[in-house]
Amino acid sequence: MRCAIVAAVCGLLALAGCTNNPYPDADDHRKVLYSSFVEAPRTLDPAVAYTTAEHIVTANVFDTLLEYHYLRRPFELIPGLATGIPEAVTKADGSQSYRFKLRDGVMYHPDPCFTLNGQGQRARKTVAADVAFQLTRLVDPAVNSPAASTFADVLGVSEFTKRLSEMRKADPQFAALPPHVQYERAGRVAGIAVDGELDLEIVLAKPNPQILYWFAMPFTTPMPWEAVAYYDGNEGRANLGDQAVGTGPFRLATYAKQHRFTLERFADWYGHRPGSAPAPGAVFPADISPADVKAGVIDPAYAGRPMPFLERIVFTREREGIPRFNKMLQGYYDDGGIIKESFDAIIKDDQLSPEMVARGMRLDKEVEPTIFYVGFNMDDPVLGHSAGEKGRKLRQAMSIAVDVPEYLRLFLNGRGEPAQSPLPPAIFGYDKDYKNPFRQPDIARGRALLEEAGYKNGIDPATQQPLKLSFDTGNTTAQALLQYEFMVGAWRQLGLDVRVNATTYNQFQQKVRQGAYQIFQWGWIADFPDPENFLFILICENSRTKSQGANTANFCDPEFDALYREMKSLPNTDQRYQIIRRMVAILERERPWIELFHNESYTLNHAWLVNAKPMGISYPAYKYKDVKPKLRTEMRADWNTPVRWPLYLLALLIAAATWPAVRTYQRERS
Amino acid sequence: MLGYLVRRLAYGGLTVVGVLLLLFVLFFTVTDPDDIARKAIGERAKPEVYVQWKKNHGYDRPLFLNREHGAASAARYTDTLLFEHFRRMLTFDFGRSDADDTPIGKRLREGAGPSLSLTVPLFVLGLMIGVTIALFVAFFRETYIDRAMLVVCMLAMSVAGLLYIIGGQYLAGMLLRWFPISGFDPEASVVARFLALPVLVGLVSGFGADVRLYRTVFIEEMNRDYVRTARAKGCGDARVMIGHVLRNALIPILTNVVVAIPFLFTGALLLESFFGIPGLGSLTVEAIQGNDFATLRTMVYLGALLFIAGQLLTDISYALADPRVRLS
Repeated sequence: MRCAIVAAVCGLLALAGCTNNPYPDADDHRKVLYSSFVEAPRTLDPAVAYTTAEHIVTANVFDTLLEYHYLRRPFELIPGLATGIPEAVTKADGSQSYRFKLRDGVMYHPDPCFTLNGQGQRARKTVAADVAFQLTRLVDPAVNSPAASTFADVLGVSEFTKRLSEMRKADPQFAALPPHVQYERAGRVAGIAVDGELDLEIVLAKPNPQILYWFAMPFTTPMPWEAVAYYDGNEGRANLGDQAVGTGPFRLATYAKQHRFTLERFADWYGHRPGSAPAPGAVFPADISPADVKAGVIDPAYAGRPMPFLERIVFTREREGIPRFNKMLQGYYDDGGIIKESFDAIIKDDQLSPEMVARGMRLDKEVEPTIFYVGFNMDDPVLGHSAGEKGRKLRQAMSIAVDVPEYLRLFLNGRGEPAQSPLPPAIFGYDKDYKNPFRQPDIARGRALLEEAGYKNGIDPATQQPLKLSFDTGNTTAQALLQYEFMVGAWRQLGLDVRVNATTYNQFQQKVRQGAYQIFQWGWIADFPDPENFLFILICENSRTKSQGANTANFCDPEFDALYREMKSLPNTDQRYQIIRRMVAILERERPWIELFHNESYTLNHAWLVNAKPMGISYPAYKYKDVKPKLRTEMRADWNTPVRWPLYLLALLIAAATWPAVRTYQRERS
Repeated sequence: MLGYLVRRLAYGGLTVVGVLLLLFVLFFTVTDPDDIARKAIGERAKPEVYVQWKKNHGYDRPLFLNREHGAASAARYTDTLLFEHFRRMLTFDFGRSDADDTPIGKRLREGAGPSLSLTVPLFVLGLMIGVTIALFVAFFRETYIDRAMLVVCMLAMSVAGLLYIIGGQYLAGMLLRWFPISGFDPEASVVARFLALPVLVGLVSGFGADVRLYRTVFIEEMNRDYVRTARAKGCGDARVMIGHVLRNALIPILTNVVVAIPFLFTGALLLESFFGIPGLGSLTVEAIQGNDFATLRTMVYLGALLFIAGQLLTDISYALADPRVRLS
């Protein structure tokens, strides 16, 4: 009995001292930013890393030659590791070159891999040859980089990859050599030329002004050959995909990718080395818009201050939305999205609820450069090109029937902007006044169009039954099926019989490969903020069945393709704008897609998080952000005082319940 | 005893072979290695990338017979997926994850610590609390305490485990703010904070069945002649219950307990997954969700091995706990 009492008292004392703070107390007063991620990164190799979880590491650990201005919209490129933004020089043979000059004295993060260069140092200076090496890696078929097709435009790439593949096939010993040795022996790519330590020239076989955006992505970061050779996964060494040897403002300090990783400020970052002239990407921009200041997004006191401001960034994996959101509300994550389950409690009339405002929360909304759409397979005999005017009217009728505002209200808490064309706001060519006549829900007009198509009341004259169509998907979740059913319901109002064929993802991919599908739903998140990055999805060259490209609708229109080629090579002028509007008009008429919506992100930020301006594109610029640890500690303490009375009540109840039995027992025994 | 052990080990060996064959059928013949490669590296890679990936992961061989080698060559049979599958599993060379190329052995080593830090306290505390409450209830059998505990135990057994987790996170993490809602940090100063809630949830969700089982065992023992004899000889209640009843009730308790010991290494799937503990339970869930066949078949194989080990341990512990048990 005595033991039980002692144990109970010990348990109570232990619980009395407990806290829900998941972080060591010693970090309370440090400039540490806490954030979360859902899916574990697959790889940190910047040539391959492409997902959001991967970019939160790569975009902060690897510097790029160019960057985006943090505050200006539409997005604007500024120099990063390069000393300036290169101008395109067109050569006599029609090729175009860009010449980059790197900043001098930029150091890599210290790493054991640098012992390979035989100089006994754990770090070294960045040189232009490192960028050339990385660009070569991008086109190496063995690396399988998502950027390979973009850099295939570089002069001599196809010849290089052919040589490299043949040499690897012919000689297994060659294939086992470190990549930099293989590239040297295979002969360099003709269009990637290094001139001295810091100069680099890229020659493109044909003009591609959008290529500069790729130099603002971690794909093209300088990569030391030592890192690739050292981290080969052999003899106990890690894979390159689990390491990040960069030059960025933060270095990878710990990396348990399934669970947690931390970035720490890099003391020797070029941005704050004494004596170096401040680079545009190394100091906080001075041209802060009054709107950002008024909204509390940017603190003007930071203008011109050297970055980064944070000591450390801790990313913790949170696979489940509810715990992640609740911890954010408790103040243990500095920012986060809003889960569907709590949306109505947090947002009232599209604004933060008074309770959230009272907690000092700030809501940042931004329409992201994305497009979600329903596509028609234009190779299909009923819906596609070969159906001619009949097919066109059918697509127009189906397009006009889908009520996207209602869809957004039902499934996404209204978080999205109904799309009128593939182009989202903040992308050049977007016209805010444009209303696509086939995207304004009108069932009566849809029925009329269907009648014009020869399907009066949705009846197929050949069978005298409602026209049967198939909506193919690889997503079998209940939520997705409800969303598809919404669209099927809209088409049913026209009299059409559209069936959802939900299969495994594998089977769906198989259908796509074989072209055996009619209607599908897909989305696109822009790699860079340029209309080309949306309109290329619909050119014939990228047709899925012909080239396994991104054009899953298999849309082919010679006029659209010609306009695309013209638009692609132009800067953002009125001429380019007019061409884009003509392309949008073709899509309006032909309807290969039913444009649904552009996703809108809702981000909650705590009062202590400073300078967190939403970027839209995948570019998590933590060097601009800062936290106020004192305010955070105070607010956390205020919100998280443990409620202990239920514990005492429970102990009391157990004691009261058992006491009579114990007393009876004692009486019987005495 | 030795003969019995050898026979049990032989049965165990046969079971392992059966498990390996079943795994081979499920993971190599039902699932096409081309599909595995496509899932791992995406749909749009060049053909040579798929070929290299399959080679790196050992999926490039024929299933049963390699006709590239001559009829007399042993490699005709050994350079196959079937042989390689058996070799890897039996030598514990599990290769690399299909999802991200990480060596699976490394993942197992990294995950074992967090899993054990959750499952060992859960196991020990669960056993102690279950036995203590069951002894108490058995002692007060047929009283209001016994009947109240029956209701509590039935309630505990009837509620789904997931509800305990979500309810526990909401109540103890969100409303009462006693513990972090989820997460894990091996740092000594904070690790107990993270483990307290999952252990508590595990204890609450598991104690009902244990208490009912142990109570039944204890009551059965309490009705035996030796208990009456002990009381007649003047033994106190504490000595009777702990010194005699508990000791003699060990065999059925051991059956329940020892078989669970090996599974402490494989972690707790739901608890780890929902509380964000990066253990082997989480690893298994990840492998299922991420189409990581290499990791999944490793976990299934290890699960089967541990089950066989658990059975063997149970039989041995019978003999150790009760010398009257003869295994011949």
